Amino acid sequence: MTMLQPDEAETETEAPTAELKMTARDVDVFYGTNHAIKSISVDIPDKTVTAFIGPSGCGKTTFLRCLNRMNDTIRNCRVTGEIRLDGEDIYGRDIDPVQLRARVGMVFQKPNPFPKSIYDNVAYGPRIHGLAGTRAELDEIVERALTRAALWQEVRDRLDAPGTGLSGGQQQRLCIARAIATAPEVLLMDEPCSALDLIATAQIEELIDELRESYSVVIVTHSMQQAARVSQKTAFFHLGVLVEYGETSRMFTNPSDQRTQDYITGRFG
Amino acid sequence: MGPHIVSAFDKELMAIHAKIAEMGGLAEELLSQALEAVEKRDPGLAEQVIQRDKRLDRLEMEVDELTVKVMALRQPMAQDLRFLVAALKISSTLERIGDLAKNIARRGIYLSQARRVNLSASIVRMGQRTLEQLTEVLDAYSSRDTALAVAVWRRDVEIDELYNSLFREVLTYMMEDPRMIGLGSQLLFIAKNLERIGDHTTHIAELVYYVVEGEPLGDDRPKGEPLALDGLTD
Repeated sequence: MTMLQPDEAETETEAPTAELKMTARDVDVFYGTNHAIKSISVDIPDKTVTAFIGPSGCGKTTFLRCLNRMNDTIRNCRVTGEIRLDGEDIYGRDIDPVQLRARVGMVFQKPNPFPKSIYDNVAYGPRIHGLAGTRAELDEIVERALTRAALWQEVRDRLDAPGTGLSGGQQQRLCIARAIATAPEVLLMDEPCSALDLIATAQIEELIDELRESYSVVIVTHSMQQAARVSQKTAFFHLGVLVEYGETSRMFTNPSDQRTQDYITGRFG
Repeated sequence: MGPHIVSAFDKELMAIHAKIAEMGGLAEELLSQALEAVEKRDPGLAEQVIQRDKRLDRLEMEVDELTVKVMALRQPMAQDLRFLVAALKISSTLERIGDLAKNIARRGIYLSQARRVNLSASIVRMGQRTLEQLTEVLDAYSSRDTALAVAVWRRDVEIDELYNSLFREVLTYMMEDPRMIGLGSQLLFIAKNLERIGDHTTHIAELVYYVVEGEPLGDDRPKGEPLALDGLTD
């Protein structure tokens, strides 16, 4: 398996190359006998948005879920290979998946706020991880997370209202606030805008661009345009294989693999 | 490259391609007729060139409209995007080539009323060379033949050299006989127009290369020596 790395010619013209946040080496995933992910090796840089694109069933969501061990919860699912966060093997024996998920947060396709108040949705993570000593500290964490998620102005007067009562776009921003309240280092987003309208999508994309300053963001998206708009690196998956990985600007103007070209230009039969 | 899943997208791209092909054919004819008008001292033919150029202008606007529409509605990527960006540039380049051919035709009308000079033959030779270059680059575009495009691109230096030698020649005649100045100036403008058409042709060659390869052709194209006027003036 050859390592796919962003082409060197391009990184020269980029700002100083971001440090690697996560590395995956020869990762295979099996659901029972179904070989879903085939020997994927990829580097996820820090403070960068990396987009995973590819047709349905290509394995991009499965691979994303490996990055914070969400696949542990699926019976029959077996992950082999090596995934490291800051050099540490996340499948190592001494790693607590719950602690890991505080460091590698996740936002799902459909907004899924807890059936709790807006405040408690955001405070949930910091509470179970003991991040706040006092109520005032917790208040501050909640406000900061909601502000970063660009939701504070809209909900500050009704923090006790149920999170499920918000609009779809607001719910998704609430879920992002919930994910960043535990101060994660990596934020995984699985089609975060597929249930949202144009305006809400633009707000989330603006947010993703801001989050990039602090986090490493990995986003799975079915929208080529969204991948092109929000990411700096793009990885194209097909049939469980990582076909091509590189600078987004190059991937969408001049991809090197014919399969990538066919997919992004809408020629995949 | 296989067809798009959305077949209407392919039809739109083909419509743009067809319009550019028509523009290319027309630009070739205009140049060819303008040269013939100069050679045969035929003001009627020159007038036809001037009239037919309007069709080229209209086609350019049609290509622009279609291309912008496809960009807005289909959000093209990769080779499709490059094809459309190049379509905009190539159509505008062909339109300019048409304008230059029209200008040659205008000067041809003037020349047809002036006395006959030998220099017209050199101009026509340079014109034929330019026309061949244009024909070949349009072939390269149609067949996406980058090797041919690069060959055209490299050969433009020959036109530059023809231009330089013609320039010296005309200048010498004008210095020898001031009555030649009016006529000579017309010839120089025609030569300059042909030289410009040559440059536009290399630009199209660069665009063909970009569409196919996804990267620029580079800027180390061989160019003719800049004109030195020393030695021509006493």
